[in-house]
Parts: sequence; C-alpha cells; structure tokens
Amino acid sequence: MSDEDPAKPALQLKSQKFRDAREKDWRTLSRALDRLDQGKLNSFSTDELLNLPVLYRSAVSSLSMARSISLDRNLIGYLQGLCARAYMGIYGPHARFKDILTGYFGRQWPDSVRRIGPEFLLSLACLVIGIVAGWLLCAGDQSWYSALVGEDMAGGRNLSASAADLKKTLEGSTDGLAVFSVFLMSHNTQVSIFAFALGVIAGIPTALLILHNGMLLGAMLWLFARQGLLVDFAGWLSIHGTTELLAIVLAGAAGFHMARRIMFPGKLTRKAALVEAGKLTGSVMLGVAIMLLLAGLLEGFGRQLITDTAARFGVGAVMLVIWTVYFTQVGRRISLKFEEADHGRS
Amino acid sequence: MVAPRAAPKTPPILDDTLSFDAQGKYQRRVTYITTPEGVRLPFITATFAERLGAFILDYLIIIAAPVALILLFFILPFEQVDWKRAKGLGDILMILFFMAMFFVRTGYFMAFEMGPRAATPGKRVLKIRVIAHDGGHLTPVMVITRNMLREVEFYLPLTLMGMTMQGGGWVALSAFLWTLVLALLPLFNRDQARLGDFLGGTRVVHMPRQSLGIDLADTEADRRSGIIFTRVQIEAYGEKELGVLEEVLRERRPATLAAVATRIKTRIGWDDPKNAADVPTDEAFLRAFYAALRAHLESRMLLGKRRKDKHDEVR
Repeated sequence: MSDEDPAKPALQLKSQKFRDAREKDWRTLSRALDRLDQGKLNSFSTDELLNLPVLYRSAVSSLSMARSISLDRNLIGYLQGLCARAYMGIYGPHARFKDILTGYFGRQWPDSVRRIGPEFLLSLACLVIGIVAGWLLCAGDQSWYSALVGEDMAGGRNLSASAADLKKTLEGSTDGLAVFSVFLMSHNTQVSIFAFALGVIAGIPTALLILHNGMLLGAMLWLFARQGLLVDFAGWLSIHGTTELLAIVLAGAAGFHMARRIMFPGKLTRKAALVEAGKLTGSVMLGVAIMLLLAGLLEGFGRQLITDTAARFGVGAVMLVIWTVYFTQVGRRISLKFEEADHGRS
Repeated sequence: MVAPRAAPKTPPILDDTLSFDAQGKYQRRVTYITTPEGVRLPFITATFAERLGAFILDYLIIIAAPVALILLFFILPFEQVDWKRAKGLGDILMILFFMAMFFVRTGYFMAFEMGPRAATPGKRVLKIRVIAHDGGHLTPVMVITRNMLREVEFYLPLTLMGMTMQGGGWVALSAFLWTLVLALLPLFNRDQARLGDFLGGTRVVHMPRQSLGIDLADTEADRRSGIIFTRVQIEAYGEKELGVLEEVLRERRPATLAAVATRIKTRIGWDDPKNAADVPTDEAFLRAFYAALRAHLESRMLLGKRRKDKHDEVR
C-alpha cells in the first residue's frame, strides 16, 4: 500500500466500488417511486413498468450486500428506506373494489362464518338463555324489570305503562325515530365490537354481555306479553331483529373463537394461532358491521313504512332465510378450491 | 459445584438490529418481512414512544372533531332557523352528528389505515405506518381486526380505571391492572407489537425518508494530504465510533469538528506536524481518519470479523 505512483487510479474501498456500480439503478428506482407516489402510474411506459420489479429486486440485493460489506450508515439507511418504499409501492394496501366484492362477499365472509359454527351455537345459546332468564326473572318478581331495563333504554316502556301506551311505541313514523335508529346502529356496532374484543379475556365477558342483552330482550318481551301485545312486539322487533340479533350473536361467536384459539392453540404456536384466529374473526366482524348497517336501515325506514304486524314478520322472516341460505350455501365450492390451492403452495 | 462459566467478552452483533437510523442513533430494532419473492426485508420497528406519540396526536384530533362540529353549529346561522317548522333539518343534523361521532370513535383508525399510506395522520407525522407481517398486501380485514382490539386495549382499561377511582373496590382494581398489561404489551415483546397487531397479523414500522449523501471516504484526497495512521492508532475505535464520526462529518459544525478532532488526537497519540503550514484542518484530519478507520473495519468485516465499538476486543 506504500506505492505512491500518481498515475495509478485512486485506491477505492470495496464498498465504494460497489456503490459506484449500482448507484445509477437506485436513483432510477427512487425517481420511479416518486412518480408512483404522485399517482402518475399512467405516465410509465411499458418498458419502465417491466423494469420496475427488476430495479426493486436489485435494490433489495444491494441492501443485503451493503449490510455485509459497507459501514457507511448513510448508504445503508438510504437503501433500507428505498427498499421499504419500493416494497410498499408494490405490496401496499390497494384493495380493488371488484376483488373485495367477489372475494369477500362471495367466499371469505360466509366461509369464515361457517368455520366458527360451534362458537355460533354457544353464542346463540347464551342469547336464548338470557331471553328465557330475563322473562322468568320478571315473571317471578316485577322489580327485576326496572333493574334490567334502564330508564333511558326503556323510553316510556315501563311497568306503569298501559296497553295503549305500549301499543303506541310500536307504531310507525314516530318523530325523531330516524335519529334514534342511527344512534341505535352506532350503539349496536360498538356493543358488538366490544363483545368481540372482550373475547381476548377468555371469552367470559363476551358471554356475560350476550346474556345481558338477552335478558334485556326477555324482560321487554315479558312486559309486552303482560299487556297481551306479545305478537305485535315480536313483529315490531323481528323486522330488523333477525338481522341485528344474528349480527350480535355472530360478534359473540367471533369473540368466543378468539378466546378458544388463545387458550387452546392446538398444533400451532400461540402466536400463529392468534394470527389465524384474527384473520377469521376479522372477516366475520367486517360482515357484522355491514349487517348492523342493514339492520339500522330496516329499523329506521322499514319499520316506519311497514306498520302491519304480519308484513313485519314477513320481512323479518325473509331476511332470516336470506342470511341462513347465504351463510350455509354461498362460496362452498370455491372455498374448497381455495384451500387446495393453499395446500399446494405450502 | 458450578463450573465458572466464561462470560462472553463481546456481545455478538445482533442480527435483528440495524446500526443506524435517520438520526444516526446507534442500533434500532428491526422487523423482518419476508416478501412474496422470498426476500427478507428489514424494516425499522416503530418504538413504543413513537406509537404512543402518534396515538396521542390521533386522539387530539378525535377529541377536537366533536368540539369543532359543535363550534361550527354555533358559527353557522342556525339561530335563524325555526326549529318547529324545519323538523327534517334538525333530524338530518342530528343524524350527521351521530354518524360523525360514530366515525371518530370506531372508523377513524380503520379508514385511514385502509388508505394508500396505511397510516393515520398521527402516524404520518411520526413517519410510521402499518404493514402486513406475512409480507403480502395489507388487507382491510387485517386493519379491522387490529383496530377492533383497541376496545380492550384502550377503552376497557380506561373504563376500569374510572370504576376504580369511583370506589369500584379490588375487583375493578385487579381487572384494571390486568387490562393494563394488555395495553402495555408492546413493551414486552421483540416486535413492539400490541395485541391487535398479533391478531391482525400486522406490524408498525418506522419509515424515514433519507437522501443519499456523498461517500465521505475520499482515499485519493487523503493520499495527497499525506496523513498516515499506524495500525495501532486505527485500532483504537470500532463501528459505533465510526458511525458517530460519520454523523459529525455530515453535520459539519465547526465546534463539534474541533472537539471531536481534539479527542481523537489525544486518544490515538497524534502529533501534529512541526511545520504549521502542514497541519491539516480539523475536517481534513477527521475525514482522513474516517477513511482509514472505515477501510480497516470493512476489510476485517469481509473476513467476518466485526468490532462493535472501542470496548470490543480487537479481532
């Protein structure tokens, strides 16, 4: 290293030679990513588009190379950021509307609901037990009613209300009902998210929440039945209730599923089981939110426009049939194919 | 009898750390993402502090939103409206208000994280974003799952804390402590992931924008300047010091340059040339030392022998 021949080219570090050889490609990629960020995808020529993945892969290999031969922090930092940006440009969150429509509604949602079948039955049992318990408690001792149904929830539907008063609450187009139903919709969505999220804590709070909602319903059923309005109330409830209660039961089921996978991860590690459970229950919950939106519309508009009890029952029953057929039948064959493809890959 | 175990003198350079970040701080944790092409791409893990900061910013927005709506209601000329006659308008306003409230409480995080930048405004300020841990696309389902879990990670501890303060007794207190563990989960795992991240299969990473500077090791200029270091002098420092030196040289603050040059000269026993005209400037001296140190460390690195810092053993 002691030769001082001035004609000799400059002594270069390996990391510098490496940088000189590749820097042009990095700059090209960086400029392309800037254009992508500005949403100018259409301005790319075919050659440029085809060249993008090549540049991306070369940047990634440059990074791993740089990390093993270079101590220039600025260089490694730049490359790391460049690779991350390029990766985001290619694998960022761009869900296409058509894919969501066919992929989610056509397969993923009904399929994930079917996969939590046992938990669904458990959640349904909680609701039914709650309804029966609520009714029996009130039938045994009237004071349970006001304990179960709070004053703000009751909205005039209390023990002292006469049959005529109660009947009035069941009529359509009451003032401010639209506001009330939007409020209920957001409230219900929050309750169901809560029921789901509480599944993390061994699922017990989820069960309690579903039971409590059931008891509330049971108590109200008892109140209306006392005045001989059971059928009318059931009709008033069923027009949106079949959708809404199904959604809440599904949210509880998703919570139970999460609890089960956390406590008993099976063959997988707990972390892997969590990811799997999260994916499954997340798809269920997205659907639950959509169902509650639909229930809110049925409650806000359908119930005001349709005042006949038989017609209300009809709408409720039709919704129930639609959901049952949808969840049990849609996307079966496709999902089988999908699983096979998955197995083939792994 | 317990055999005395020889303590390893040099902690191995962790594979899950990078030796830099945008601010030049040494070693930040890394989350590896295996992309669909099978490449392991290192991402800088967002720290708990960064995430907390983003969360607080987002919450300020969430709290400010209803206040702004109510202020807007008072600023707009609604006092001229006859509420008895314009009942429909009142209803619509109420519906809009409820929907806005619902959005900020439940939809805010989800809507922004499903967007093209995969980050809420708070996250964007702190340059962090959400990515899919499996290396694929970040799907809406992942975003929904990770944000629904916020109910138990944030709202539940908050509620329980309120109950404890109002004299909820030991049941509320123990429930609060338990949920607090859930909320502070990012502090207890390698990826700094919260429960929602585990369930959603997502991670939060720091993505600084860094430009490519010049290569500081200008061996040609150093040769001309005639500054030569002995092997012993160069071996005084390791990779960590090299990084600090790089940072100092890139900032180019005269006071810092002078201080660092003095310290290095003292440590390596450097004697300035007798002739005052031959004494290199602080910057020239530091750049020469940087080039020599980097050349030495990089050549050792090629042989798989790395020296973390000056306390590390010379290999």
